[in-house]
Amino acid sequence: MEATLRIGARHDNGLCKLRIEGELTIYNALQIRDGLLEHLASSQDVEVDLGGVSEMDTAGFQLLLAAKREGARLGKTVRYVSHSPAALEVIDLYNMAAQFGDPLLISARQ
Amino acid sequence: MAKTIMVVDDSASLRQVVGIALKGAGFDVLEACDGRDALSKITGQKIHLIISDVNMPNMDGISFVKEVKKMASYKFTPIIMLTTESQEAKKQEGQAAGAKAWVVKPFQPAQMLAAVSKLIMP
Amino acid sequence: MSMDQALQTYIEESHGLLEEMEAILLRLENEPQDDETVNAMFRAAHTIKGSAGLFGLDAIVAFTHVVENVLEEVRDGALSVDGELVELLLECRDHIGLLIAVVAESGGALDAAQTAAGEALAGRLRARRGGAPAHAAGVPAIHESPVAASGGGPVEGDCWHLSIAFGHEVLKNGMDPISFIRYLSTIGDIVSLAIDDSELPGLEEMDPEACYLSYSIEFRSEADKQTIEDVFEFVREDCRLRIFPPPSHLAAFVERLEHASGNTDMLGQLLIEAGILTGHELETALRAQDSMAAGDTGTRPPIGEVLVRDGLVQKEVVDVALEKQRQIRDHKAQEARFVRVSAEKLDELINLVGELVIAGAGASLLARRSGDAALHEANSAVANLVEEIRDGALKLRMVEIGETFNRFQRVVRDMSRELGKDIGLEIGGADTELDKTVVEKIGDPLMHLVRNAMDHGIEAVEARVAAGKPAKGTLRLNAYHDSGSIVIEVADDGGGLKKEKILRKAIERGIVGPGQNLSDSEICNLVFEAGFSTAEQVSNLSGRGVGMDVVKRNIQALRGSVDIESAEGRGTTVRIRLPLTLAIIDGFLVGVGKSSFVVPLDMVLECIELSEADRQIAAARSYVNLRGEVLPFVRLRDEFEIKAPPGKRENIVVVQYGGQKAGFVVDELLGEFQTVIKPLGSVFRHLKSISGSTILGTGEVALILDVPALLQLGVARDAQRLVRET
Repeated sequence: MEATLRIGARHDNGLCKLRIEGELTIYNALQIRDGLLEHLASSQDVEVDLGGVSEMDTAGFQLLLAAKREGARLGKTVRYVSHSPAALEVIDLYNMAAQFGDPLLISARQ
Repeated sequence: MAKTIMVVDDSASLRQVVGIALKGAGFDVLEACDGRDALSKITGQKIHLIISDVNMPNMDGISFVKEVKKMASYKFTPIIMLTTESQEAKKQEGQAAGAKAWVVKPFQPAQMLAAVSKLIMP
Repeated sequence: MSMDQALQTYIEESHGLLEEMEAILLRLENEPQDDETVNAMFRAAHTIKGSAGLFGLDAIVAFTHVVENVLEEVRDGALSVDGELVELLLECRDHIGLLIAVVAESGGALDAAQTAAGEALAGRLRARRGGAPAHAAGVPAIHESPVAASGGGPVEGDCWHLSIAFGHEVLKNGMDPISFIRYLSTIGDIVSLAIDDSELPGLEEMDPEACYLSYSIEFRSEADKQTIEDVFEFVREDCRLRIFPPPSHLAAFVERLEHASGNTDMLGQLLIEAGILTGHELETALRAQDSMAAGDTGTRPPIGEVLVRDGLVQKEVVDVALEKQRQIRDHKAQEARFVRVSAEKLDELINLVGELVIAGAGASLLARRSGDAALHEANSAVANLVEEIRDGALKLRMVEIGETFNRFQRVVRDMSRELGKDIGLEIGGADTELDKTVVEKIGDPLMHLVRNAMDHGIEAVEARVAAGKPAKGTLRLNAYHDSGSIVIEVADDGGGLKKEKILRKAIERGIVGPGQNLSDSEICNLVFEAGFSTAEQVSNLSGRGVGMDVVKRNIQALRGSVDIESAEGRGTTVRIRLPLTLAIIDGFLVGVGKSSFVVPLDMVLECIELSEADRQIAAARSYVNLRGEVLPFVRLRDEFEIKAPPGKRENIVVVQYGGQKAGFVVDELLGEFQTVIKPLGSVFRHLKSISGSTILGTGEVALILDVPALLQLGVARDAQRLVRET
């Protein structure tokens, strides 16, 4: 079974709504990076819906971190929303809820 | 969904004991009796960790690891080699092939669980 | 699937493997087999061993390990196969089969004969092995799962600090930092974790499969440094890991360093032994040191500096380690300056020197008689040298008393706990030297005195406080040299002897007459009297009598004396005076007929001539009037049954022993005489009145008198006579 991934995008008034469906892991890291780059280039703000993330590892986490920094560098915003439990777990472990917690993150552990 | 570990060893009893320990810790276990058997079973699966012996008939552990590392869906999968103390060279060879973790035989089930826990959680 | 079922599988599997092994062996005997076939045989043993380990069947692991080693050499071509080896391996195969049947199937153990047979086989296997590496020869231990660690428990809020920079490759190798961090949290609490992403390139530039992150972790755990490092063992080569111990460990580290075994004087090894540094950290630091040495400056910084610079060990700890290293090296250097010689060889030498002294004296005598001035002079030069050699030889056997004293640290500690008292031991003059033979014999009397002082001398804490003394009592062992003797003091700051009670008791027991006027010192020394028993426990003085007479006797047997000094309420000091060596005696030589005797000089008080009048009176009784005092005497002529008639003159040598004076009636006074004591042969051991012998310059033997024993004999005879006369 190949690692599954689907990146859905919806553009709305300069806001790009992305949804990552599947594994946010090293196996898909190249593909996700390219998707993020593409949408970041074409939109002012990007909102990434992590609700469909079934698995996440450090490579995935690192991508989220890099995308967020990239947005800031370009004067754009990158936001993560609707974190799935798998995504939350990693973000929690890495103590990064403050950075990734927009708009409102409810920790899975609470 | 529980993560799956593949145990490759020509000793059925070793596979069984390791299997009991891993299942007890909440993993799913897939057994193979040598490298060739493992390769035939691995495709189309979702395996999170491979535990492999070195010296096996048909296809030894080193060749098996090299094959696994060539597969797109397993190239980043952690592999634990079962090494022997007198086989430092084999351990090096295994590491070069891509099996970065190891457990020295003979071992107790708890040691295997500790090594696995450093790599994946159920 | 259960473990029982798995064990069943193991048993079946092993039977199969053993059959395979047998088949291959039988084929191997007749014709060489291909590599895979030989490997299969090796694998069979390997598999049996490996799985046995999983079931904890250590006996199988141990034996199969030896077989596996041999088969490995066969496989690698290091060992050639012959009929004999095949035969041996077949026997081993059968033994494995037996082990499986007994240990795995029935859960039992081999009986003694079977175990011995197995050991014999293993021995033969080892003998067949060629230049095998030593490590493989041993039986492998089942690797125990990591146990949480030694090391001082952490203080609340006291954290290890971990800094980990992962290498780019770790993710590709399937190693996810998340897993290590999760595992870390199983051996302690992650108090905080911060990610450093400063190495993370831009989204476009980055390799999404590479790792760019570093972590700082505050970690609270009782695990030791090695255990923490082991969490990262699989990425150890692919990350930069720094483990900083909690500040509270500093003290523990320093303490562990101070108690280092001294097995190594290498700084790095010292730190590893103390659990401060891990082997891996040291290797990294040594490499850094090497590269610095190879670098521009070309100088090699000390390893301690590298460790501090890299933050692996705190400077304070390195300083302590350096100090410890210096101590160990000093100690080694000191050891290197010493030569170990067996005591026996020394004794032999001293014995020979004794003979030399005697032979030298003989030569001197002849030289004097010859009247040849030049010969006489040459001989005195030799005699002087011989004397120096004798002193030098005796000095070789001198040891410091410190070691003997130090043994009491433990005694004092344990006993004060037992007694519920708080007592400290102070040691003085530890470097005072005395003859090894004396040291060996002084241990028991010292132990007695120390115990007495602790039990009966030093008061209970409440009593001390009530008396305005510090609650902690002090026992002091001290030694010093004093005019050719060594003095050993056992002093306490306890309640002291209650002289009144001692005197009363001594009178009760008839040791002292009611009218006798005794000085304080004489009263104190009564506790050494044989009759001063302590059936009745009166305050803290009675105990002092326990066996004190025995102590005194032991010390006198060493030609020493013991004296007690006590100030009521302030403490007691027992002073033992011993000769520096037992090998030499300052004697007083006397002659009776043709025989010579030596009286230990320190017991001789004076010599008086036995006047003609006294001789007549003395013929009938065994005492004379010495300046108004009754002086009992012993006639050596009678005592040793010397047939020669008395000379024209007789003399009395007045000796004192244990406060008792007596005289020995002899013919001639031959003067002071320092000589080497030769022990009596076992035939003469039972002779009560003689303690040893020496050889005179003339080659004649002189017997050394055992004064205490002689006096006792005299006293006993007097008593008998009194009984007869009344």
